[in-house]
Amino acid sequence: MQLNRILGIALAAPALAFSLVAAAQTLRIGAINPYSGPLALYGDEVARGYQVAVDEKNAKGGVLGRKVELIRGDAGNPQQGIAAVDQLVTRDKVDLFIGTYISAVSNAASDAAQRYGKIYWDTNALAADLTERALPNFIRVGPYAPTFAEMSVRTIAELIAPALGKETRDLSLWVEHEDSIYGKSIGDAQKKLLEARGVKALTQGAHNFRAADLTDVVLRTKRANPDVWVITGYVPDINLLLKTAREQGLKPPVILTVGTGDTQETLDALGAEFLEGVMVVSYPRPDISDQFGPGASAYLANYRKTYNRDPIAPQSLTAYTGMKILLETVEAAGSTEVDKVRAAAARLDKPFNSYPSGAGVKFDDKFQNARPGVTVIQWQGGKQITVFPEQARAAGVALKNTPRKQ
Amino acid sequence: MDNVLHILVVGLLVGGIYGLVAIGLNLIFGVIRIVNFAHGELVMLGMYGAYLCYVTLGLDPYLSVLLVVPAMFVVGVVVHRLILQPLHAESSMQIFATFGLLILFQNVVLALTRGEGYSVPSKLAGLTIAVGDIRVTVSRLVIFAAVTLAAIALHLFLQRTLIGKSIRAVTQDRQAAQLMGINVERTFVITFGIGSALAGLAGVLLAPIYTLAPGIGGNFVLAAFAVVVLGGLGSVAGAYFGGLIVGLVEAFAGFYIDPELKQAIWFLIFLAVLVIRPTGLFGQVGAEEIGFREQG
Amino acid sequence: MLKPDQTAAVDPADPALGLISWQRVALLLAVGLTAVLLPLALAGKDYFWVNILTYTYLFAGLAVAWNIIAGFGGQFSLGHGVFFAIGAYTTARLLLDWQISPWIGVLPGAIACAVIGPLVFLPTFRLKGSFFAIATLAFNEVGFVFANYLDSVTGGPRGLQVPFRAGLIRMTFSDPRAYALVMFAYLATALVVVIVLMRSRLGYYLLAVREDEDAARAAGISVRRVKIRATALSASLTALGGGLFAMYVRTIDPLTLFSLPDVGVKFALLSLIGGIGTITGPVLGAFLIIPLESYFRATLGGAGPGVHLILVGLFMLLAALFMRRGVAGAIDHLWQYWQHRRRR
Repeated sequence: MQLNRILGIALAAPALAFSLVAAAQTLRIGAINPYSGPLALYGDEVARGYQVAVDEKNAKGGVLGRKVELIRGDAGNPQQGIAAVDQLVTRDKVDLFIGTYISAVSNAASDAAQRYGKIYWDTNALAADLTERALPNFIRVGPYAPTFAEMSVRTIAELIAPALGKETRDLSLWVEHEDSIYGKSIGDAQKKLLEARGVKALTQGAHNFRAADLTDVVLRTKRANPDVWVITGYVPDINLLLKTAREQGLKPPVILTVGTGDTQETLDALGAEFLEGVMVVSYPRPDISDQFGPGASAYLANYRKTYNRDPIAPQSLTAYTGMKILLETVEAAGSTEVDKVRAAAARLDKPFNSYPSGAGVKFDDKFQNARPGVTVIQWQGGKQITVFPEQARAAGVALKNTPRKQ
Repeated sequence: MDNVLHILVVGLLVGGIYGLVAIGLNLIFGVIRIVNFAHGELVMLGMYGAYLCYVTLGLDPYLSVLLVVPAMFVVGVVVHRLILQPLHAESSMQIFATFGLLILFQNVVLALTRGEGYSVPSKLAGLTIAVGDIRVTVSRLVIFAAVTLAAIALHLFLQRTLIGKSIRAVTQDRQAAQLMGINVERTFVITFGIGSALAGLAGVLLAPIYTLAPGIGGNFVLAAFAVVVLGGLGSVAGAYFGGLIVGLVEAFAGFYIDPELKQAIWFLIFLAVLVIRPTGLFGQVGAEEIGFREQG
Repeated sequence: MLKPDQTAAVDPADPALGLISWQRVALLLAVGLTAVLLPLALAGKDYFWVNILTYTYLFAGLAVAWNIIAGFGGQFSLGHGVFFAIGAYTTARLLLDWQISPWIGVLPGAIACAVIGPLVFLPTFRLKGSFFAIATLAFNEVGFVFANYLDSVTGGPRGLQVPFRAGLIRMTFSDPRAYALVMFAYLATALVVVIVLMRSRLGYYLLAVREDEDAARAAGISVRRVKIRATALSASLTALGGGLFAMYVRTIDPLTLFSLPDVGVKFALLSLIGGIGTITGPVLGAFLIIPLESYFRATLGGAGPGVHLILVGLFMLLAALFMRRGVAGAIDHLWQYWQHRRRR
């Protein structure tokens, strides 16, 4: 009996020691996102992107000789964000944070992370004031609201206006957006940029993305009869708006959606015929050319292998890219400490099209990446074809159904 | 002027949607006096039921009505028997339980579907009928027809059939009904089942219009509660006309004022009506003063 | 009705509470508060639990405040989120724009709600039960839309952010335990207010009004005045909690403040499961639900979409079925059972 006990301890001890050592050696990253609630789909998808990047890196030996471990922290509102940070630091002993699909959560969580002296590396949150507030531990590698606004205005000026045979400032536009911080920040930025280009005929409209009926929005838009209808929203409201537009005979020459509208969910709702020609400013898709986004096809293959399906939303490619850049930065810094990572990040300088999402990296003085990846697709024959920027466009691709056949 | 007619039509059709969701809630809320927070989730289950029928059997939602509605009746009976009936003496606990159901239903569906936005297509639903400048979709016309028929059918059911009469009796005075030999428990179970079936009907008919999400019930449930209270607890006509009124106010406010404010506007009008006429438009005078305690 | 030897049970739904001496009440309160503070002492530097306790104290206080008008007054409100939001916005705005210390800054919101609360509820007071509940839901929704719309006042959908600058005057602390103590003080305040209220004539009238409004009126009680005062108390305490919340999360927006499941309905849920209409009920409810849901979220949150909330939902159903009068009721039940056994 005694012997058994001694043998048991003798055998367990090294195993215990080994696991302790192993645990001390893993580089732990806390991934804060909504994994429950209405945005769970995106939170989960983003974390999947992270995981693919982590797995890839581990297959190549990890970072600084340590295996990388991703630990999820569920947060759907600011107070949960704070709780998730507390949990990940005290219980799971993470070294740094990555996130976050909801801006308000990112705000509160990065603030809490700052108190613990941990880096908060944001890949997906869009609100401008996350970097405006100049929090020392906050670095945003992904696009933000102005990025989407700028890209949509560039699309209008460089792609749409010529196709319609008009000068940008002579276009009439209806800029619609859902009324939470996501839609509003993009919508307001779009309005400002368009007005700066001399657009006079511009109306801004807002709606609640959960509204049971959006016929009022459609009829108001129809009354204004714009050349270009720009909509920033989520999947439910964009789908409903487009359906209602079809039903009510709202037929703007060009429809440009921002943020969503490029997934199977929209195709299922509206069908290929109606969607033909609709353009979407969104996160780059994994099927972009490897010339535009080196490593995109490898990412797609890995995602398919790990999850047995195609990515549900393109946010995961941006998340994957963001994680890759983080791991690279930590390696360059030689540490996970805030100051060292910050310094290493500041030194990064890679042109556009260096990473799978077509992004480059060069942080401005507020630690916002000035070269994030954003593309514009156009629905053609039921497929999402990348049409802008030019470098992203494959050879032989041309705009279809622009202006829309009436 | 042309616009006004158009908005009128839009408002009536939206009102039909609200009415259809409210008509089932009206029975549950009006008769059994349960604040059924999970009613939106019952509608959601109806929607996903339609999706399931489409994906497995290839059925158009207008056909899957025949499967989903009876199934939702059963769901309602089970929910009432297992959870609500044991709590009938504790009406505040019932509220707590329905909230638990809300969380449970929503998250089971979320766990099963990951939250992907499904669509249920229907060949008939997307067709539009144009009357002059006004365009009306078949899907909304069907809903309008359905809520009208359901209201009439329900009214006849409550007036003419024995079960219907016992439901009315129980609504008016629970104790007296019991003394008259009415099996109150059985009445409640049937009422809840019918309410749930009506929610399922709403779900199936709404499925072709919206993109499904586990939380979609929440989009309708607040409006449905307001419609029921506005129309007058327990009054079928109240739920029907209340829905139309809410739809009209919302449509006019949305078009002429601001789509962002339309919800607030009709909620304010709802409050104003309640202050002036607390029973709601068609409700029995005095019904609004039956608090939680007297219900038990 | 309670039997004479059960006056030891602190169930103020019975006027016998007035028979317990002040000293006894003070003792019970001291014991109770110590019990509530104990977990914080035990948590030490485990900030995970400290954070959970901070919310538990805060929401316990909010539920106690809610219970004044809802449990004791019989007016089941689902619109208290409006008062919570007013408190949060006022406190944040006063700090951001005029550098007014939140220790003072929480008061204007509370005072405003002491006026706004009755003003807003008064027209709907003659609605009872479910009618009143739905009407107050409408208030919450209207509040949300306006908070989103009025950019200049509330910051619109972006909300307000209070940057971190540690300092006692700013009610901003580096040590999370300080926040827990602030929230504990709030809970203690709320409890003291409720105890004093329920031992006073106003409390007595409030219960009478809840039991039978017409009889109370016939007995000469001004039902209206009673409800106004109770609402003022309830609303202002809630606003106070809202202000403290704003200083803890330091980022507030309409979606967070007007969220029904996280705020407006939560006050009701905590009181219901704890035991509505009792002093200890809301506290017990908060101590049951908040740590549980936080723990589930922490351990299972990443497991799969919605998994941890399935457990929360199931737990709520089981709790409802097995503790029909809430936790306080269950404790009361056990106490009576024990008394009964002891006497045999």
